Amino acid sequence: MTHLTHNPDLTSSVIYGLGWVYLLMFLMNAYWTRRSYALDGNCRLSLGGILGKGEQIPVAAFWAVYAGMLLMIAITHLTGWKNPQQFSLQMPEFLKEPINRASNPVAFFIGSTTIYVLMIVLRKWWTTPTAGWILLNLSILFLALSVTDYDFRQIVGKPDNVPIVAMLYIVGFFTWLYFKKSVDNDERKAAGRPLFEQENNEKVLTWPDLVYSELICMVLVTAVLIAWGIVLQAPLEEPASAAKTPNPSKAPWYFLGLQEMLVYFDPWMAGVVLPSVILVGLMAVPYIDFNKAGNGYYTFNERKFAVSTFLFGFLPLWVAMIVLGTFLRGPNWNFFSPYEFWDVHKLELLNNINLSELFWIKGLGRPLPVVPPGATFAQQAPIILLREWLGLVGVAFYLVVLPNIMAATVFKKFYVKMGFLRYMVLANLMLMMMSLPIKMVLRWAVNLKYIVAIPEWFFNI
Amino acid sequence: MEEKKTSTADILAKIRAQKAAAAAAPETPVSPPETPAPVAAPESAPIAAAAPAPAAAPGPKPTSTKDIMAAIRGGGAKPAAAPVASTPAAVTAASTAPAGTPAPSTAAAAGPKLSPQEMLQKMREAKAAGGPAAAPVAAVAKTTAPVAAPPMPAKPVAAGKAKPAAVRRGMASFATVACISAICFVLGYLFGNSLLIAVGALAWGALLSPFMAAWAALASVGGIGTLGIARFMFPNVLVEPPSKFKVGPLSDYPLNTVSNKWKDQFGIWVVHTDQYEGRNMIFALASVCTHLGCTPNWLDGEQKFKCPCHGSGFYMTGINFEGPAPRPLERMGLRIAEDGMLEVNKSVKFQEEMGQWTDTTSYVEVV
Repeated sequence: MTHLTHNPDLTSSVIYGLGWVYLLMFLMNAYWTRRSYALDGNCRLSLGGILGKGEQIPVAAFWAVYAGMLLMIAITHLTGWKNPQQFSLQMPEFLKEPINRASNPVAFFIGSTTIYVLMIVLRKWWTTPTAGWILLNLSILFLALSVTDYDFRQIVGKPDNVPIVAMLYIVGFFTWLYFKKSVDNDERKAAGRPLFEQENNEKVLTWPDLVYSELICMVLVTAVLIAWGIVLQAPLEEPASAAKTPNPSKAPWYFLGLQEMLVYFDPWMAGVVLPSVILVGLMAVPYIDFNKAGNGYYTFNERKFAVSTFLFGFLPLWVAMIVLGTFLRGPNWNFFSPYEFWDVHKLELLNNINLSELFWIKGLGRPLPVVPPGATFAQQAPIILLREWLGLVGVAFYLVVLPNIMAATVFKKFYVKMGFLRYMVLANLMLMMMSLPIKMVLRWAVNLKYIVAIPEWFFNI
Repeated sequence: MEEKKTSTADILAKIRAQKAAAAAAPETPVSPPETPAPVAAPESAPIAAAAPAPAAAPGPKPTSTKDIMAAIRGGGAKPAAAPVASTPAAVTAASTAPAGTPAPSTAAAAGPKLSPQEMLQKMREAKAAGGPAAAPVAAVAKTTAPVAAPPMPAKPVAAGKAKPAAVRRGMASFATVACISAICFVLGYLFGNSLLIAVGALAWGALLSPFMAAWAALASVGGIGTLGIARFMFPNVLVEPPSKFKVGPLSDYPLNTVSNKWKDQFGIWVVHTDQYEGRNMIFALASVCTHLGCTPNWLDGEQKFKCPCHGSGFYMTGINFEGPAPRPLERMGLRIAEDGMLEVNKSVKFQEEMGQWTDTTSYVEVV
């Protein structure tokens, strides 16, 4: 396949640039080796019995070996960049193939949700500095290796997509920081020690401490923006035309989560109702929250519900959707795996059906109740309601009955503490949030388009 | 002696220490010295103390920033920032000075150094005193310590009695303004002078308080601006392609093809197919996705319309089958004109879900 493509995977400039990346990684890991030598202890290495009982060697030795390898790779890149045809350090096919085969929206969503769960369950482990460092190294290595693939580079290297890569690292870092600080505080609480924030009271004056920091930040941000504006040109396209929509047509990156949501919902729902619910819901959080703990310090154990709920809405349902929309949605809004060519003619069978069709045609083997042409509203209504009764009942159950069931079972404590009104707001916000993954799963599992489909009244759920 | 970098906590601690010293030194002057007020002590104390004011107020433990600020002001009036730098001795001297002699403190309070906060507090106290419950207390306080009450606008007390007068005055001014306005309107109408009419309208503003008048002005300007913007919705000249246009003879469109020819100019596809209800017909489809209004593309290889925005797909007939589009593409009016050409009428549309595709003006049957 690679011989047929017009565009080679590797070009001189890519190899040269990667050389600098690896050199930077070498420097980072050289520093880390030094740090590890000072802080980490020794470990026993026996190499499966080759060294007999084993020998005590510093952990830093592994980092030293790793850093040395990075240096050699960097040198290879920086000296051999002139001949890309001969260059063989690139993403191996045996890694690309399984990733390509495994990637589809279902796997992506399950994967991101799994990472979210692991993140919370393993928070004690992955917030250690060494684990964080390993994760950072792995992510950079993955990115650097993947850039040697032409299709990957075309998408990730696009000027509009560069900030999204940066955003992913920033989101990752701050999530890591939050969990690190809260794990620390939770351990302090458990051991009866004072909280970190109490022990290290870092109160400083607005002037000069804060104002100086702000000034420095301002200067730095300005410098970065100027450099960015010069290095990465604005991705301008042809003049806009009402008759021609670019393919794929993508919203600004911060709205790609919404655009992905629109694939599963009616525009009225995903474009107006749900975004409003998100905004109003976030505003309502202070009034819903009855948990006084966690005020002024980091904690997870004392705010498990609040943090998990927010992170679920933010990471798998917002950030991951942005990633999906940016990197994995190609022409005709089809799903493309990271190393796949964006083929305009890729065929994906998505014959979607409504719940009413599922019920009447597949379930009962009868045609849908049809509204006679030219019927008045009064004649229409009973037929349409009969056609869609299952979906309407389902939605009513979901939004009206389910909160009550939850109040009697899983959210019993919440209900008692919050009172009826506050609890209902919370329950409905939760259910609205969960409606997105539910709808996605239904779409993938049974090709369900709408639970309630009344195009006559522009009402689809 | 070099001082270390002082943090907020340090400063607060220092101030607290100074305050504690100031409070501990002279005990008695804090309470009103010669108030004969025999009334309930907890009530009379703050009222009488209103003038000696913040200096006298400090309780044993200042907790809030407000207390601390009050302490500083009461202590040295101006040198609010000084205590931080000056030696503790000097500060205690400064703060004890007014406490030792009650007269200066009242003088200071009555002087122009009052902060708005203090004035507010005093006003509130005066109000409380004027309330029905504490009426005698107020009387006592007024008679015994006339200095205590700085010349405050005595509105709250007088308000109750003055009401009828105010209403009467209001009626009078209302009548005046109504007369002026009416005269302006009549004259303006008679002489065709719009300026006079405007004056007549604006005269009503005199009834309002400045605050209300400002808001009324803002609202009226905003309202006029909105109307002006709304005017843009009805342009004098509308430059749009004609809604009726000819698209050539029937023979231009072979069976089971979709013509992209008019998409750029008019936003329609002309479709000739026998796949809809098995009838051989030509119709015009609007190139607007029924999901969110993007322009789909006709993919000849796949024989479908596909929207690049969210992946909605439609058959050649216009029926939606994949992606989120909730309903089929819309048909435009089509007929064979007198000269035998096909004529599209974009001013009408036909929606399948409304049962409008059975309308004979939505297609042309080929025989």
